[in-house]
Amino acid sequence: MRKPYVQRQRADWWLRNPAYRRYMLREATALPLLFYTLLLMSGLYQFTRGEAAFLGWLELLRNPWLLALHGVALAAALFHAVTWIALVPKILVIDTDRLRVSPTVVKRLHQVGAVVCNVGLLLLVLLLVGGGR
Amino acid sequence: MRRSHEPIAWSLFGAGGMLLAFIGPGLVLATALLPWLAAHDPVATHAAVGALLAHPLGKLLVLACVVLPLFHTLHRIYHSLHDLHLRAPRRLMQLLCYGGATLLSGVTAWWLLLI
Amino acid sequence: MTETVTVRVQRYRPEEDQEPWAQSFEVPYSEDLSILDALNQIKDQQDPTLSHRWSCRMAICGSCGVMINGEPRLACKTFLRDYRGKDALEVRALDNFPIERDLVSDISGFIDHLETVQPWLIRSDEQPVSAGAYRQTPEQMQRYAAFSQCINCGLCYAACPQFGRDPAFLGPAALTLAQRYNLDSRDEGASQRMNWLNAEAGVWSCTFVGYCSQVCPKDVDPAAAINQGKVASDINYAVNLFNILRGKDDA
Repeated sequence: MRKPYVQRQRADWWLRNPAYRRYMLREATALPLLFYTLLLMSGLYQFTRGEAAFLGWLELLRNPWLLALHGVALAAALFHAVTWIALVPKILVIDTDRLRVSPTVVKRLHQVGAVVCNVGLLLLVLLLVGGGR
Repeated sequence: MRRSHEPIAWSLFGAGGMLLAFIGPGLVLATALLPWLAAHDPVATHAAVGALLAHPLGKLLVLACVVLPLFHTLHRIYHSLHDLHLRAPRRLMQLLCYGGATLLSGVTAWWLLLI
Repeated sequence: MTETVTVRVQRYRPEEDQEPWAQSFEVPYSEDLSILDALNQIKDQQDPTLSHRWSCRMAICGSCGVMINGEPRLACKTFLRDYRGKDALEVRALDNFPIERDLVSDISGFIDHLETVQPWLIRSDEQPVSAGAYRQTPEQMQRYAAFSQCINCGLCYAACPQFGRDPAFLGPAALTLAQRYNLDSRDEGASQRMNWLNAEAGVWSCTFVGYCSQVCPKDVDPAAAINQGKVASDINYAVNLFNILRGKDDA
C-alpha cells in the first residue's frame, strides 16, 4: 500500500537553517534601501519647490530617526555590496575562445571597482559640498 | 510552456543591484553627512545640487540612482513576501511592487523635467 | 565497554502512521563509521523494518541522500565523528519530497523534471555512427564539465526552498543539466530547452538562495548554472521581443 507523506513547507522555513537566515537577511537589505530611496526622492521633490524647501529638507536630515535610517541603510548597502559581488562571477562568465577571465579575477575587479566608486563618490561630495570650509 | 515576463523585472533588479553595490554605501554615507557638510554655506550646497540637476547628464544620473534602486528593492520585496507565504493574489502583489516602482519612477522623471 | 552514539532516526510506516516520528537507536561509535554504516548497523542488528536507500557506499550512486541534523547530505559521505560532542544526531528523509517510508523519499517529481529538459545531445542532423564521434576540444568540454558531474542525488532539491514551495519548479539539478547541454558545443537543442527555461517554472522561480550549491556533494554549483540560464533566458526574451517588433512570430 502506498501512502506517501507529503511534507509541506512551513511559513517559518527560513528560520531553521543558518544558510536560509543569511539569505533572508540579504533579501531584507531591500527594505532600508527602499526607504532610503524614498528619502532621496523627497529631497528631489523639495528641490523642485525651491531653495527654502530644499534647505528645510537638509535640516530635516539631522533628525535622529533619519540618521538611524541612514545607519541601517549603510549597513544594508555594505552587506548588499559584499553578497552581490560574491555572486557576480557565478553569473558573469567570460569564457570564449578569444577571451577568458577567471572567476576570481572577475570578482576582484568588481571588488576594486566598488571600493573605488564608493570612495570616489564620497570624496566628490566632500570636495564639492564641504570644500569651501 | 508560457514565457515568463520576469526578464524585464530581473534586468532592472540586476542593474539596480550593481548600481547599489558600486555607489550605495558611498551615497548613503554622503547624505548622512550632508547637513553637517553643508552647514557653513547651505545656499552653496543648494546651488551645487542645482548645477547637477540642470545638466542633462546629471538628471540622468539622479534618475538612475532612484529608478534602479526602486526596481531592485521592490523586486526583492515581492519575492520575499512570496517566500514568507504571504497570502495575497499574485497579480495584486505584482501591481503593488512593479506598478509602484513604475509610478514612483515616473514621478521622479517628472520632477527632474520640472527643474 | 564500547562508546555508543544515540541516533534519532525518522520513521514513517504508511500502514500504521499518520505522520513521521523519531526513534532513537544506540550505535557503537568508531572513527570510520559513516551515517550509512550506522543505518545499516541498525537495520542488520536492531530493527530490520527500517527502510533506507543505498548502493555504492562511495558517493557516486546518489541513493543515500538524507537530512542529517537538518542538512541534506549523503549518508555514506558523512561520518559519526563529524557529530561527536554535538547534542543530537538526527537523520530524516530528504526535505521537500514526499516520504514513501522511513528514510525513503519519492523523488519521481525530480526525475520527471530531469526528463523535461531533454538532457541528451540534440542534433538537427544526426550523423551516422560510421562517421565517428562528435568531436570537441578540451576547452569546449571545460565549459560544461563541472555541470556534468551531477549524480542525481536530489540533495539540491531538498535544499531548495523554491522547490519546497512549488514542486512544479524544474529545480537545481534539471536546470543545471539543461545548461550543461546548452553549453555543449556538440549540442543543437538549446532552442528547444529554452522553452522550458523561459517559463515561470524554469529558471525564473529561482531566487539565488544558493544553498543548493552549498550542499552539492559533487561541487556542481547548480545556483551558478541556473543564474547563467537566467542570462540566456534574458537574452532570449530580448531577441524574441525584437522579432515581434519586426513583425515576426513569437519564436
